[in-house]
Amino acid sequence: MAVGASSRPEVTSQTDVDIKTQLRKHPRVGETLIETFLFVCGAVSILTTIGIVFVLAKESLLFFTSGGVSLTEFFTGTVWQPAIGKFGIWALMNATFMVTTIAMVVALPLGLAVAIYLSEYASLRVRSILKPVLEVLAGIPTVVYGYFALTLMTPVLREIFGDDVVQIYNTAAAGIVVGILILPLVSSMAEDALSAVPDSLRQAAFGLGATKLETATRIVLPAATSGIAAAFIVAISRAIGETMIVAIAAGAGPNFTFNPFNAAETMTGHIVRISGGDLSYDSIDYNSIFAIGLVLFCITLVLNIISRYVVAHFREEYE
Amino acid sequence: MSTNGTPTSNGKYALDLQDVHCYYGSFRAVKGVNLKLQEKKITAFIGPSGCGKSTVLRSLNRMNDLIPGGRVEGRILFRGKNLYDPDVDPVEVRRRIGMVFQKPNPFPKSIYDNIAWGAKINGFKGNMKELVEQSLRSAALWEEVKDKLDQSGLGLSGGQQQRLCIARAIATQPEIILMDEPCSALDPIATLKIEDLMRELVKNYTIVIVTHNMQQAARASDYTAYYLMDKSDRAGELVEYGETDQLFTNPKDKRTEDYITGRFG
Amino acid sequence: MSQETQPSDIGQYPEGDNLKHFIENRKRGGLVWRVSFQIATILAILALIALLYNIINGAFGYVAIQNKVDPNSLVLAMEENQMLSSSGTVSSEDDNELVDGIEGNPNAIGFFGYAYYNDNRDKLKAISVDGQAPSRETAESGDYPLARPLFIYSAADVMRENPAIGAFVDYYLTNVNSVIEEVGYFPISDDLLNEATTAWSAAAGEQADALQAYTANPAEVSDHDISISGSSTVYPLTRQLAIQFRRAGFQGGLDLQQTGTTAGFRAFCEDMTTGISNASRPINRAEIEACESNKRTPVEFRVGTDALAVVVSSENTFLENVTKDELRQIFTSAETWSEVNPDWPNEPIERFIPGADSGTLDFFAETVFDRQLEALTEPELIEILKANLSTGLLRRFDAEAPLVERSQPELVDLVLERVVEQQVVQSWELTESIFDRAEIEETVAAIPQGELQWRSWLTPAFLVTPQSSTPELAGIRTALFGTLWVIAITILVALPVGVGAAIYLEEYAIMVANPTLRRINAIIQTNINNLAGVPSIIYGILGLAIFVRAIEPITSGMLFGVSDPTTANGRTIISASLTLALLILPLIIINAQEAIRAVPNSLRQAGMGLGATRWQTIWSHVLPSAIPGILTGNILAMSRAIGETAPLVVIGASTFITVDPTGPFSKFTVLPIQIYQWTSRPQAEFRNIAAAAIIVLLILLLTLNASAVLLRNRYSRRLS
Ligand SMILES: Nc1ncnc2c1ncn2[C@@H]1O[C@H](COP(=O)(O)OP(=O)(O)OP(=O)(O)O)[C@@H](O)[C@H]1O
Ligand SMILES: [Mg+2]
Repeated sequence: MAVGASSRPEVTSQTDVDIKTQLRKHPRVGETLIETFLFVCGAVSILTTIGIVFVLAKESLLFFTSGGVSLTEFFTGTVWQPAIGKFGIWALMNATFMVTTIAMVVALPLGLAVAIYLSEYASLRVRSILKPVLEVLAGIPTVVYGYFALTLMTPVLREIFGDDVVQIYNTAAAGIVVGILILPLVSSMAEDALSAVPDSLRQAAFGLGATKLETATRIVLPAATSGIAAAFIVAISRAIGETMIVAIAAGAGPNFTFNPFNAAETMTGHIVRISGGDLSYDSIDYNSIFAIGLVLFCITLVLNIISRYVVAHFREEYE
Repeated sequence: MSTNGTPTSNGKYALDLQDVHCYYGSFRAVKGVNLKLQEKKITAFIGPSGCGKSTVLRSLNRMNDLIPGGRVEGRILFRGKNLYDPDVDPVEVRRRIGMVFQKPNPFPKSIYDNIAWGAKINGFKGNMKELVEQSLRSAALWEEVKDKLDQSGLGLSGGQQQRLCIARAIATQPEIILMDEPCSALDPIATLKIEDLMRELVKNYTIVIVTHNMQQAARASDYTAYYLMDKSDRAGELVEYGETDQLFTNPKDKRTEDYITGRFG
Repeated sequence: MSQETQPSDIGQYPEGDNLKHFIENRKRGGLVWRVSFQIATILAILALIALLYNIINGAFGYVAIQNKVDPNSLVLAMEENQMLSSSGTVSSEDDNELVDGIEGNPNAIGFFGYAYYNDNRDKLKAISVDGQAPSRETAESGDYPLARPLFIYSAADVMRENPAIGAFVDYYLTNVNSVIEEVGYFPISDDLLNEATTAWSAAAGEQADALQAYTANPAEVSDHDISISGSSTVYPLTRQLAIQFRRAGFQGGLDLQQTGTTAGFRAFCEDMTTGISNASRPINRAEIEACESNKRTPVEFRVGTDALAVVVSSENTFLENVTKDELRQIFTSAETWSEVNPDWPNEPIERFIPGADSGTLDFFAETVFDRQLEALTEPELIEILKANLSTGLLRRFDAEAPLVERSQPELVDLVLERVVEQQVVQSWELTESIFDRAEIEETVAAIPQGELQWRSWLTPAFLVTPQSSTPELAGIRTALFGTLWVIAITILVALPVGVGAAIYLEEYAIMVANPTLRRINAIIQTNINNLAGVPSIIYGILGLAIFVRAIEPITSGMLFGVSDPTTANGRTIISASLTLALLILPLIIINAQEAIRAVPNSLRQAGMGLGATRWQTIWSHVLPSAIPGILTGNILAMSRAIGETAPLVVIGASTFITVDPTGPFSKFTVLPIQIYQWTSRPQAEFRNIAAAAIIVLLILLLTLNASAVLLRNRYSRRLS
């Protein structure tokens, strides 16, 4: 460079100075602003999480400090009657688990069977009809399912088991319908997991003289276990957080019962009912929905984290 | 001598293909194959890519049934029975005519279960441990894996995995083993091991192998069938079939000669 | 063969018969499972069908309608009014005036009770109606159209338990014929009277003698009370007899009311507040059933006949007989005789009719006009509206659409809705309506004034009517507006932020070198995935604490002085939108990320290679290619937001609101909240409108999703 500069001094030194300025890094204010703005957009999600945790924690703290409710009472009690100062979360949690269990009994086997049928048996034509049907089912708002539970499922149950056995509001009808609600979720996630199993495994099985069923249930299904497990966990989390169906059909009043034909209020149902009325701030009722919300948030968060861990584990197997 | 046909031999026939045409939907991928496969011999299918070798191979144990639109016309006689008769169960065919694939595809199960599974579903009664050991020995894998039978088959090397797949196929006691480019994913040493293994196995089994490796065909096979795509309708056809030595040294068809001397294309 | 080659001392595969069995078992097992997988799939489809069926089922079907005001009486009142207000009509409560007016005037016509005509036979001429001349016989047989029977009703149990009533009925039957002509009605024939007496004896049974003794000496049953109501036509007759009964010595309570026949039967059968019911028509089946369900078997006593005479003066030569239709014209719209019948003279009609308070006018109108509301003309309907609605209300309707310009069916609907006030008292689902028709008809027959009607709950009016606490009048206008406002603002907030976040994560985050920032970016990504799994109700709680409460001055609009500070609180559209925006943000981000990721890297390199900055490349190359994917994701997120209910309940959407929202700081309700509210009500009719609202919601969502699918298809075609 120096040699070149000395041989043709004028022109080169001129160019050199020029290119130096031209190539010099200069701050691009617009670019930086845009990047910052975009980062802020991304950070909104963090703020949301912080907001949720902060709000739930703060109001729950008030609930436990000022409401005269001890943590042990809260987590062991089976009576939830704010009027007499009883706040036992099990009254609500039990109903949530009842609904979830019933929903799982419906959704898991059915969803898995549908997934196996779609991925291993169904012809392209059948698939092209069934998948949209399931998508439609998945796109229907939950309040519509609530209407369905109350106006069809409950009457059907009462018809079968008798009006004196089945109450008008009951966890069975709500649970079954929650099961129908999450069936498409289970089947589509499970189908994804089944489809992710490489075809060479199926070929190997068929090459050994396995039937379709043997291939599907004993090679493909075990190979997709973790994906299916993840689907199940997500389904459970979804059922626990489901609100409108239980708010409409499960019952309006905490009730610690194991009878699926009796009315019982779930955690989500309780939150909706309490906040649906004219809720005055800083009342014990107001604080209590945050405590319930915190429990709900923790349960679903843990389930979702587990499921994603399981999926990640599943990916490692074939890639 | 016709292009299709049977080399002179006094052995018995394991499979007899009579005017076989293979279709994918409305597309005819292979046309008019006549071929008699010699029992307890290695037959190699060679030919340029896309000429239908795999298609013919898959038609031999009805794996083509699994491809949507896959269809075979003509007759393939196995011990005098046409495999495509309506009363034939393809599942039973595949137990007797096993298959090894291009890419090793062990099940995500233990080595032991990889072998035992095929036997179990086919109703094997007897000493499973013995069967596993015997199959692994036959596949020349026993010494390498005998201490880790309960480990995943996916943990083996590529060559070992392919031998595991061969052992898996042997365990169901087939009569014929079909291999579709079994060595294409393997290094030369592993390839040689498989070739040795084939020479060993052919004492008890009829073997059909698809290969792009001319040396492998020349080295390892007893008979060779050469396929080529007919440019006019893009359907593969059998050009020449004969004893390997003869086909490689003295091809009858000009096209075969072009191919094996590398003047193809 | 394999046996030879493979030493088989270690075991065997099934051969021969064993193999056959083995194969069969395998096949059977395979089939069983295959079928059960199929059944599961069919069940899933059935669930969808059941869900849709159930909604359709609720949105259509029969309803039983009951009118608050009897439409026939409205028509009657309107017609009477027309009669009274026609020019050339003289009306008077004093029959003598009528007679004086008609007398000697050949163009005059009038009507009044037959008895009164009888007194003035010399001056007047009664004409035949529909070919029947008025007489005691034609009246009693019912052939003469302007005649009706008069009854009183009681019951056996009533007469036995309350001897005063038993005695009074006996007294009534014994003495009616001596007073009836004085009151102005035809006495009944002896045969009919005998029938009535026999009926009384049968009802009185063993007590007949005792009761007859009381009839002779009513003072002895003065410790009992008599309560009578019903027909105003029979009233003067009963009143006359009651006065005489009292004169004969009865000193107990005697309560006599004129309520009309139908109301009289209601008091007698349902409320059981009366022991005797006056009636100018026979009791009907539904009323008998109502009585019997209260263990009362009504006994009928015919006590007389009422008839009107249509009269002209003796000088009139052209009128001998008129039809009912001619009568109608004569007494309402016609101005000259020839207008009604060309054979008659072209002279003005002069009408003389009884006044509005007399039952005679009612009876005449009822018999002669006999028209349904649906058959009235537009001016007649408007007249009814004017007569029955407040001027304020009238002005409002006129402002909405001038009444005179409205079509006849529209006016009928308005009358039914506002004056008749039709109410749905019971509703049936579609399947019930189709399969249990007979049963439904029976039920409706038992409803007083009940009427069966086919109803689609989903109507154009349903979409544009605001809410109402009466289900059949309620609509989803406010909810639709609420949904539109909420979703619009939600998207306005969530779309830029979501796409911005996605661009950051896909285009910038990978390039970041700073390890702390890298870690933050990784956290953001994980966090978004986690947020997607948080139950929506948690977002509701967040919105309640932050948007509704913590920043209430902003979300209520108070800070901007936009809203009325006395009612303002944070439960507004803006709070709902912000809550929903946070809820769908993860969805939008994840979808947009996928769309951006699908843009081939070569495009970025091409852009950067030309010396464009990163943002320039993104803005002019990456985003345009990713837009269809982003929009698809956005539409899906939007339909999620439209269907969300729980978070909005928690942040406190109004459940009953009849004014359209006007801006971000309005109170609001949305479609799903309406559905939730209506579903939770016990009355079946609210379920019906919930079903109708669900159909609207589903159509909305279906349209959105279909457009997303279309977009996706076009997008994938372009890329390939
Ligand atoms: N599943 C399939 N569906 C449709 N067509 C197919 C399918 N598999 C193969 N074909 C077609 O059939 C013809 C023969 O294919 P095949 O795989 O048998 O060739 P090949 O000789 O095995 O080639 P290669 O040496 O590359 O493996 C080709 O034209 C191919 O495109
Ligand atoms: Mg091939």
